[in-house]
Amino acid sequence: MEDFMKVIVFTLKEQRFGVNVQQVVSIEKLQKITEVPRTSDFIKGVIHLRGETIPIIDLKERLQITKTETTDDNRILIVQVDDVQVGLIVDSATDVLDINTESIEPAPKMIGGVHETYLHGVANLDKELLILLDLERILDLEETNEVKEVIEE
Amino acid sequence: MDTNQYIEVFLDESREHLQAVNDNLLKLEKQPEDLSIVSEIFRSAHTLKGMAATMGFEDVASLTHQMENVLDKIRNEELHVSTDVVDITFAAVEALEEMVASISEGNDGKKDVSDLVSKLEQLENGGSAPVSQESSSTSESQSSIEFELDEYQATVIAQAKEQGFEALHINVRLNDDCILKAARAYMVFEKLEDKGDLIQTVPVVEDIEDGNFEQEFSLLMLTKESKEDLEKLIHSVSEINRVDVSDLKVKDKEQEQPKAQEDEDPNKAKSEVAATKEAPANNQSAPKQSKTIRVNLERIDNLMNLFEEVVIDRSRLEDLGQKLKDQELIETIENMTRVTEDMQGLMLSMRMVPVEQVFNRFPRMVRGITKELGKEIDLEITGADTELDRTVIDEIGDPLVHLIRNSLDHGIESPQKRKEVGKSETGKVSLRAFHSGNHVFIEIEDDGGGINREKVEAKAIENGLLSAEHSEVLSDEEIYQMIFSSGFSTADQISDISGRGVGLDVVRSKIESLGGNIIVESEPGKGSKFSIQLPLTLSILTTLLVNVQQETYAIPLSAIVETMLLEEKQVMFVQGQKVIDFRGKVIPLVSLRDIFNVPTAEDSKEENSIVIVHKGDKMAGLLVDSFIGQKEVVLKSLGNYLRDIFAISGATILGDGEVSLIIDPNALVK
Amino acid sequence: MAKVLITDDAAFMRMQLKDILTKQGHEVVGEAENGQVAVEMFQDLQPELVTMDITMPEMNGVDAVKEIKKINPEAKIIMCSAMGQQGMVVEAIQAGAKDFIVKPFTPERIQESVGKVL
Repeated sequence: MEDFMKVIVFTLKEQRFGVNVQQVVSIEKLQKITEVPRTSDFIKGVIHLRGETIPIIDLKERLQITKTETTDDNRILIVQVDDVQVGLIVDSATDVLDINTESIEPAPKMIGGVHETYLHGVANLDKELLILLDLERILDLEETNEVKEVIEE
Repeated sequence: MDTNQYIEVFLDESREHLQAVNDNLLKLEKQPEDLSIVSEIFRSAHTLKGMAATMGFEDVASLTHQMENVLDKIRNEELHVSTDVVDITFAAVEALEEMVASISEGNDGKKDVSDLVSKLEQLENGGSAPVSQESSSTSESQSSIEFELDEYQATVIAQAKEQGFEALHINVRLNDDCILKAARAYMVFEKLEDKGDLIQTVPVVEDIEDGNFEQEFSLLMLTKESKEDLEKLIHSVSEINRVDVSDLKVKDKEQEQPKAQEDEDPNKAKSEVAATKEAPANNQSAPKQSKTIRVNLERIDNLMNLFEEVVIDRSRLEDLGQKLKDQELIETIENMTRVTEDMQGLMLSMRMVPVEQVFNRFPRMVRGITKELGKEIDLEITGADTELDRTVIDEIGDPLVHLIRNSLDHGIESPQKRKEVGKSETGKVSLRAFHSGNHVFIEIEDDGGGINREKVEAKAIENGLLSAEHSEVLSDEEIYQMIFSSGFSTADQISDISGRGVGLDVVRSKIESLGGNIIVESEPGKGSKFSIQLPLTLSILTTLLVNVQQETYAIPLSAIVETMLLEEKQVMFVQGQKVIDFRGKVIPLVSLRDIFNVPTAEDSKEENSIVIVHKGDKMAGLLVDSFIGQKEVVLKSLGNYLRDIFAISGATILGDGEVSLIIDPNALVK
Repeated sequence: MAKVLITDDAAFMRMQLKDILTKQGHEVVGEAENGQVAVEMFQDLQPELVTMDITMPEMNGVDAVKEIKKINPEAKIIMCSAMGQQGMVVEAIQAGAKDFIVKPFTPERIQESVGKVL
């Protein structure tokens, strides 16, 4: 039985979020991003990482959270879901936590300004609620295309 | 046993053996009396059976087992090679291929093979028994005797050949009622005594002298006499049923020493890795000896990626060297540059595989289709050893299948028709591959009826691809290319063989997506030729780097006609579209800045930097801000997340570590 | 058409051979009952072809071949052998006999042999 799940904790506009550590390849500092024309606004472009080009998503824009200033704390979380690898820009990456899977509850309709579609659940920790993101949904290309269509219209 | 780690090897080897069976079956059909081919097939089936049983693929094992039984009977001349035998064995091979394919997709490779097994059993249990009896009693069958040479003999033969001797296999069969066989054989020996050197006999001389042989024996002889003369000479002896004199055939033992014959072996060790090419020429007929290892393509790609990191650091070092002006450092970096360039070439060559991998499947396909169509067609393959990038190899198969089907179905006429027009009843389709410069060409040529201009014209007009007036000014060549237009292929054209609802336009777009192009030439009554031009490798691209505001883009050189500077006033407007005059042609001008929504920092320049690109015979001018220069870049995919981005075919990493996008000009030329 | 000398110690065999050869249009110019006689007759009659039994009194067939070859190296001799005389046949061939036939004879076999030797 899987008692504990390791999550990487990061922040978006002061709110703490978590993703399963198994989906995180690495955490990189912000670097020069080459824009790719004619893509959704939240796709900032591509970066070069260890011989590969990796698309970069501004996670705040993706989740429709209002913008914040770029700081030295900004990080790129390189995540991998199935055969898709992308970098997610976050405000900062803070720690790694073990959370008890039993403490995870289904997400409410909206929490921290994020729609439930993108949520895996909420971990009820001692002092706070940690929002766990559903990367599959966030990176879902179908979903992305829908969003894109909306934008293009 | 955990067999997972062996599955890759199992799959690879199974495919190789199946291919070998395939090739050998085709050979056997042409030379049904050559039992050495049967032995080859037997060996492949046997190996397959063993591997499949070990891996627990029982259906594969049971089918190969039954194949083996039939082949064994043939080998022992208890069964005659009939069309039935070949057809059923082919069917079995096809089933095996399906099973192997299913295993490679992670399935269990199960398949109901009982029908095939029982068909094979029928064969084995004398479905063709009368034939086999006949063959052994009438002694019509050719010799099954083979020679196994030791190294010394092989050397002797090789040397003698240099001196103009031929190594001949002389097979003598005595009359069935010949009683004093030894004396008769002695007479044969005596006749040949002064005609050359006897290297070996089967059975050994002692046995022949004692008459210990069935009515037949073989001699291996080095001679300058002609085959016909020798045959005649032997026939002057009494009680000789038949004499066959042929070029030497040698039994191919697993670890056989170099054979002294130029027997083509299409199954030379294939590998995804380029191997020791400098292997001594006379080793080439011993496939098992070539020193290759299998490497997963992914590993080569990883190596390549790591290597690029090195290249990037190298350019950083170059900058440092310039800054520090340290001579020793600069020299070291220069040396490193040379070495890394060589390394890059080597790594790219690892991705190259012979096009044979694709061509291999065609002989059987052609055989099957010609039967279906009731035509007689010879397929001639040349240049199968031409190498292409692995990625291209993986993609080029389907278009080629389509084109070959097309040639067989629409190109080659029926035997009656061919006879009427005075051609040989057997049609010919040639498949050629060759290198030229930075490209590989693949040609498919048939000697059929050629393309009918009127029909193509009519169809194009009917489908609204062409106006009647316009068609009149077009040359034959231009009309022929219409067959590649999308929407050209129509329902009434689709036959069982080609067509299948897919037109040649799909073939063209596939080839273009590989960075290649295709044209067709045709002569009415004489035939057609499809020529495909493909880039040597997809992973390295010569490009022109250009600036669009602050961004750097790469444009593939293959698409560029030329670059030019144009004054603003030379830009014209036609129906709201910017156009320019290029060599007397009006072509559209596309601003990359507008297309790619690049934020504008500065504007209003007197001169426009324009890159003229083409797609087929259509052209467009791409407006950029400045040219940087020509550069070889390594093509990177943008990954699975970013797919189908308009006018971008990929990305590359420049020396400073920055990513630059590669433009797909095809999307920009309308 | 050839002039043939038949050599055999058995009169029956000579008769049979003569019959077959004559029917095939050849002329039997002499019949010898042993090797010695055959050598003498060969010298006298100068036949174009000699049939030679192997086992005979006085002088056997192999020796007779050797003697005849001394007289005329071009002499055309066909050995007439029984089963089990392989070694002798080979020896005769080595000595210069052109062919051999094995008893019992068949007309076809004789025809073939004569045809090849001449």
